[in-house]
Amino acid sequence: MSRHPEPTGEPVAAVTRTQEGILSTYCELIEELGTDDVPYRVIALRAGVSERTVFRNFPARVHLLLAAADWIERTVFAGVEPESIFDVPLAIREAMEAYDRRSELAHVVAEAAMRGGSGAAPARRAPGFDRLLRLEVPSLTAEERWALVAALTHLDSPGTWVTMRRELGMSGRDIADAAMWAAEALLNPIRNRSSAEPPPAR
Amino acid sequence: MDESVDTDAAILASAAALLRESTFEDITYADIAEHSGVSERTIYRYFPTRSHLLESLARWIERERLPESDFTTIPEFIATVHQRFRAFDAAPAFAFVLARAASVSPTLDNPSSPLADSIERMLRSVAPTLNARDLRRTTAALRYFGSAMFWARMRSGLDGSAAQTSEVFERTVRTLLTSLPSEAWAA
Repeated sequence: MSRHPEPTGEPVAAVTRTQEGILSTYCELIEELGTDDVPYRVIALRAGVSERTVFRNFPARVHLLLAAADWIERTVFAGVEPESIFDVPLAIREAMEAYDRRSELAHVVAEAAMRGGSGAAPARRAPGFDRLLRLEVPSLTAEERWALVAALTHLDSPGTWVTMRRELGMSGRDIADAAMWAAEALLNPIRNRSSAEPPPAR
Repeated sequence: MDESVDTDAAILASAAALLRESTFEDITYADIAEHSGVSERTIYRYFPTRSHLLESLARWIERERLPESDFTTIPEFIATVHQRFRAFDAAPAFAFVLARAASVSPTLDNPSSPLADSIERMLRSVAPTLNARDLRRTTAALRYFGSAMFWARMRSGLDGSAAQTSEVFERTVRTLLTSLPSEAWAA
């Protein structure tokens, strides 16, 4: 049988005050101008720092972009940490509504997560989902739990919003409904699996 | 006209070839110019920004390197996606380009999705009385879990192999389909 890797926690990124100022300014500019090549000069001017300071903190655009995506996830799209795994569908619905309000920023986070091994955290919520499932539905097998963590982590991301908007032309309301429906449908089969119940025979 | 189509394709073929050694991030217009013999200026004319290049490259890869097979039933759909995930594992640089291109703010007109269209057509035929709302959200979910994005997240976020990704995909799709009203399915 295949071994299922444990989801790991995200690395803690310490952001200085200066960096925070640059990142929030950059995000403002993305929402005004789009993601394409907002010049460092313009960021520096708006943030009230020298261009050199921007370069010192973010030597290449990829650093700026990944740091911005991380910052956006932690601040703009932070949402409420669900207390129960069964709160996740509602949290997903709210997240989709937030992506719809700040669509350019949703694209930034979605794209940063798709870059392969370059520092983005595409499974930020996975450790939390894993913990809640162990706690609330201990009868799940490791395989079942891992599949659920993976599916919910994937749904609870701006990628869902982007795909449904781009490829299916859905409205913000319909996207929120569709993502919540999918999460509910995935959780429904385990709603009655109490802790007393032994894992199903395989 | 013919000439421009060829130039377009030559630029994209070069960019795809360069993905063997570098990530999309590291490939410059100068690299592509050198590799393709097309001037940098011409490349800029065809692809004014890197987002244009990324989206066009993804379409080229889909068409030339990772064409999807046809499916009309649920098992065929699942098999098609399994096969795609295996192809992604064999060519991760291509798959990450597809995942990234699908997530950026669109630059090309009509960001069409052949896979979403095929899924909707399949669902209409196997579950003809499914209501419009269920049809749409099921199509959306199946498309999203069958995407390069899902493969990319599983690979870089959860360290999953193609086999594990396929397993989660299949399990998820079956659970979603089971939740639909049983009378919706064709006899």
